[in-house]
Amino acid sequence: MSQQNIFYPGALEEKGGRLVQMGNKCRDCGKTFYPAVELCPFCSSEQVEKVPLSPVGTLFSFSVTRVPVGRFKPPIIGGYIDLPEGTRLFGQIRADLKDVRIGMRVKVETGVLWTEKDGMEVLGYYYVPCEAEGGGAE
Amino acid sequence: MSKVGIIGVGQSKFVRAYPGSIREMVFESFKEAMGDAKMKEKDIDATIVCSAPEYDKQRSPSGVFAEYLGLNPQPTFYAESLCSSSTTGLRLAYSLVKSGLHDAVMVLGFQKMSEISAAESQERMGRGADIQWEAPFGTMMPAYYAMFARGHMAKYGTTPDDLALVRLKASKYAVFNDRAMIRKELTMDAFTAPNPLGNILSSPLRVGDCCSNADGSSCLIVASEKKAKEFSEKPVWIKGLGSASASVNMAGREVFYSLPAATEAARQAYAMAGMKPDDIDVAEVHDCFTIAEVLAYESLGFAKPGEGPALIRAKETYKEGKIPVNVDGGLLSKGHPIGATGGSQVRTIVLQLRGEAGDMQVKDPSIGLVHNVGGVGLYANVTILGRE
Repeated sequence: MSQQNIFYPGALEEKGGRLVQMGNKCRDCGKTFYPAVELCPFCSSEQVEKVPLSPVGTLFSFSVTRVPVGRFKPPIIGGYIDLPEGTRLFGQIRADLKDVRIGMRVKVETGVLWTEKDGMEVLGYYYVPCEAEGGGAE
Repeated sequence: MSKVGIIGVGQSKFVRAYPGSIREMVFESFKEAMGDAKMKEKDIDATIVCSAPEYDKQRSPSGVFAEYLGLNPQPTFYAESLCSSSTTGLRLAYSLVKSGLHDAVMVLGFQKMSEISAAESQERMGRGADIQWEAPFGTMMPAYYAMFARGHMAKYGTTPDDLALVRLKASKYAVFNDRAMIRKELTMDAFTAPNPLGNILSSPLRVGDCCSNADGSSCLIVASEKKAKEFSEKPVWIKGLGSASASVNMAGREVFYSLPAATEAARQAYAMAGMKPDDIDVAEVHDCFTIAEVLAYESLGFAKPGEGPALIRAKETYKEGKIPVNVDGGLLSKGHPIGATGGSQVRTIVLQLRGEAGDMQVKDPSIGLVHNVGGVGLYANVTILGRE
């Protein structure tokens, strides 16, 4: 079996046999944010705890890059996703180009982002369309 | 209050691949600026070297240049803020002179991007953005600005052809600029695929919406009022300086149709100069992408939010328009050697205010403005210069 590593330690945690995207929730002001920084960006409290993020969000903006970037082959769809918690994060959208539009509902999936030359698989998250499912940002 | 002036400006020709070393490349702009200021090496009290270090092979280039240019034993050091590095250098030079610590400070900007492959430089440029939470997913500068173009289009109805007009204007004036890399006037046909400029690079931006990497250097000599009057018949004075920053990670930005750091830097510069947008006679703005120039019109108050495209459609930013912008070809046509770009913009405005801009000359300007942005509005410097 090939070796695996998460693209950034702690960004994903294993829960119930699968990888879940983790943010921090502030115990003082109650807001959740990603990435999981140690100090609450809203109220500067240090009283924060790791929580799983909502799996479904809304696409805020995106672009489709038609040239290779580093290890990725075009077309590369990259976009910002708004989660219902009120935090925004960046990721790739894996979808048919014609289906991608601002405001669409997307769902997180976790898996291999790329494979290093030595065979190491780098794990992370990306988003796929999920128009039918509920739970996104309103 | 004593003034601070710019008494010498220089720029190498911006080229795809400079054949010599960085020392020789920097010498070209150094020699021009020193001749312009009629100064000798001993007259320079300190040198600030500006570049984006991710492209540099030479570690700590300040020392190398000081030795090569004969500037030892005066102090020399380095300033960096990505694409706005050399106007950050100018800001530091102003404060060194204003404080009375030095009388004449040199700002030397350079970049030799051809030392690495285009793909490698693209990847390194992406590292100017957030390498932890964005770059692992395959980002690059055009992709970020593309999202701002998409944001502006969604909010205000801006079209890809509005953006193309910015490139057409740049190309028209680059013909007159002997230091520009791309000196061919374009028509809208160039943006129609299958012409290469018409191909989508990162939607909705086409190849023609993007500036090119380049090699080059720029040099500015900043002096106290006393020294400026001693050496120069036509010093250009620094009237206003503004500088601001915004979150690296775009997830921290509220909207994708403006760059708040540039708007804030403009506010500061106008306040310091006691001026308003109407007072500006000629401007250089950071058009690394066509959308960036449109955003600049709005940040600087040349147009209201959303009305930037109308300004270029009405040709108000052409040489004969209400507010001429980038009538030297801009980054889009000159090329964009990161660390040299801000100094090149300042040089153009200084030449304009001295009435020495040749075929690019705007009619009798007395106040000019430079808008220089690092990253995707991560850093922004706005500088207002005047003849008086």
